[in-house]
Amino acid sequence: MKKLFLTVLSVIIFSAMEVVGQCNADALSNQCIPKLAAGFNFLKSYKIEKGGKDYVEYSYVFTKGTQYMINICAATQPTDGIVVSLYDSNRNKVASSKVNGQFISAIAYPCNTTGIYYIQYTFDGSTGYCGGSALGFKR
Amino acid sequence: MRIVVLGVLVALMTACGSEKKTDEQAFLEGLDSAKTGGPSISEGVIGDVLQRIPAPLEISVLLKESGKKYNGSYLNSPDNTSKYNSNYKKALNLGVYGTDLGYTNIYEQNNDGVKYMGSIKSLADGLNIGQFFDIETIGRLATNSKNLDSLLLITTQNFNSINHYLQTQDRSNLSVLFLTGGWLEALHILCEVAAANPTNKELQETIGEQKIILENIMLLLSFYKDTDPNMAALLTDVEELKKAFDKVKVSYTYKESTFEIVDGVMVIKDNSSSTIEITPEDVNTIKSITSGIRNKVIS
Repeated sequence: MKKLFLTVLSVIIFSAMEVVGQCNADALSNQCIPKLAAGFNFLKSYKIEKGGKDYVEYSYVFTKGTQYMINICAATQPTDGIVVSLYDSNRNKVASSKVNGQFISAIAYPCNTTGIYYIQYTFDGSTGYCGGSALGFKR
Repeated sequence: MRIVVLGVLVALMTACGSEKKTDEQAFLEGLDSAKTGGPSISEGVIGDVLQRIPAPLEISVLLKESGKKYNGSYLNSPDNTSKYNSNYKKALNLGVYGTDLGYTNIYEQNNDGVKYMGSIKSLADGLNIGQFFDIETIGRLATNSKNLDSLLLITTQNFNSINHYLQTQDRSNLSVLFLTGGWLEALHILCEVAAANPTNKELQETIGEQKIILENIMLLLSFYKDTDPNMAALLTDVEELKKAFDKVKVSYTYKESTFEIVDGVMVIKDNSSSTIEITPEDVNTIKSITSGIRNKVIS
């Protein structure tokens, strides 16, 4: 009986520890909103949490003549190894925020072609695998 | 000791079962045909398509930035809320009024904006999502044009929260209707402005580009066509619009992009290009069909 009690107790304690150490991607994505550059109107916030796949992906229809900004926020360092890549509707890569080993925390994309774009977040040396991101636009 | 262990196990089991819906929720969801059956595809897939539909606010900003004047007669009357008795109509017109509010906000027409806030709050309450529309804060921000950025931000956040909540409650059908209504109203305003400026190519092209969004709206409605007669009828109407958009030719040439780093931001230079072929006749047909569908929605 004592064994069973200890087992149940450890499950509760470990569950509680997991909750404490959980990724708060909501808070991080909210932190990203005011970090959009001046003149950009907020559109969406995205949670970046590593799940079953190696990447986290969202999509959005970008419009020709509009400039978009996507930024990244993480708990440690500017991006904690999170990289955002943008792909067009044919899955051609349009941009990646890692360049020459440097992690850039925001990309601005003046769109020339209306269509579905895929916003993909990957992890390159990340420690927390957790972050947030915001998408904004301006004409 | 046995009692303590049992108590802990019961507590754990109860916590795991917290997703069960209350009787009140189940009753409210059963009130109209907008919840007659599940979609033919997973909620996750629907969520993926839903979140890519662009905000109608982008069109309002385009109109303002291109120097077009405000015209309140393009919008649905804020006094029409009493006509919308079913969840189907409420959700569609919540989207319509959301676009109208964005339009009044962008043009800083605060008096009109306040009326739309009231209409939105009324419909949102009717759908049991009124708690996500912070009318007090929005109303306060709307009284001063210096607050425009904050007003746009909080309004967008409120609508994003509504969409997110509906999806987590397995009520994505209402999200689909909300976004469809919002897009339809934006297209209607765009068509009206284009008709008033018949030589403006940019506006005509922007109408042509809506073809891509229409395809995604149709995809979303198609998920419910076998389970919801209202959404099936709306899809049939929208299919007529698709026929008009089929005449619009969109071509795209991909060329690798380049970039530079400016103040810590990677600024992309998009070297790809696209062309939209749309005639004034196409625009007229699209305007006429859009107007017909919208009239059904707002009546």
